[in-house]
Amino acid sequence: MIKKIIIFFFLFYFLALLQTSFFLHFLKYFPNLILIAIVLICLLEDQKNVFGVLAAILAGFFLDIFSERFIGYYILISLFLAIFIKLFLKTHFRLSLTNSYGSLPR
Amino acid sequence: MLIIFFILIFNVFSFEVKNFFYLVSEPIQKKLWSAGATLSNFSSSIFNSQNLKKENEELKKNIQALIVENEFLKELKKENDFLRNALNLGLEKEFNLEVAEIIGKDIAQDYLIIDKGSADGLKGGLVVISQEKVLVGRIEKSYENFSKVQLLTFKNSSFDIEISEGIFGLAKGNGNFNLLIDLLPKEKEIKTGDKIFTSALAGSFPKGLLVGEVQKVQKLDIESFQKAEVKIAFDVGATNFVFIIKGLKK
Repeated sequence: MIKKIIIFFFLFYFLALLQTSFFLHFLKYFPNLILIAIVLICLLEDQKNVFGVLAAILAGFFLDIFSERFIGYYILISLFLAIFIKLFLKTHFRLSLTNSYGSLPR
Repeated sequence: MLIIFFILIFNVFSFEVKNFFYLVSEPIQKKLWSAGATLSNFSSSIFNSQNLKKENEELKKNIQALIVENEFLKELKKENDFLRNALNLGLEKEFNLEVAEIIGKDIAQDYLIIDKGSADGLKGGLVVISQEKVLVGRIEKSYENFSKVQLLTFKNSSFDIEISEGIFGLAKGNGNFNLLIDLLPKEKEIKTGDKIFTSALAGSFPKGLLVGEVQKVQKLDIESFQKAEVKIAFDVGATNFVFIIKGLKK
């Protein structure tokens, strides 16, 4: 779990750097890669797994660092987004898209 | 509860936390910024290759016209140099300037991050321009080694402008690099392409900084003023360095 958190820490940090310094040269309105990553993690991971919520907090932290808002603004948004997706999947879907190893079930 | 506790702690030390991350990220952000600029120039040249032949012919025609214009401008330059020397004009002669490099843009809003901060004498409220004397914005917050520049297009920001021949109006930022000019007198004729400069009416910016040019004029019978959409002169993707006006020289 800790290894996974460290990997995602650097992943979100790198995505934030790309978003703020690299991609703005190509498109005027570039989609928020970090929010997309949160949605994908929450959708694809096992329903019982809570890593998506932790990842959302981590991602929100980096969005806050590279934005002019107070620290916590994006943390709360991404946290609520992750919880909403989790609850939505729990109430409307019985099977997760992937198994606990992160691969598609046979 | 734990999350709220951490959020509060981070907000108490937000200046230090953000400054630390900007300091660590600065070399990577500089590389990414210049790589992005190079790559976007390269890719746009590939995508535009089909139009190159047509563009080439048009450019040849333009060269002829420019040669004639150049001769005329040479004469004007001589006169201008003479007047410049006489009046002691020029960017560095007019303002106390500090050069800074752009290292990033805010994720969601119209902000730039530059690599100079309070340690270099910068503080909130200072005006930021490009080397062509184009208005970029204003420093919103200065960290120790970095500053956040609020662009002129920031939503809800407003300042006075002057369109050629004494037409005054109020520029309002619309966010996402969009700027709108309001309160333009209806009886004045404004054309697409008219240059827009800052005005010294409210004293928010020094007079005569280029803002952009009129892109579209909106004149409605039901409104007592006319409005204009602006194509801003500052190109965030094409600029690496900016100047911060620390004060005016007398």
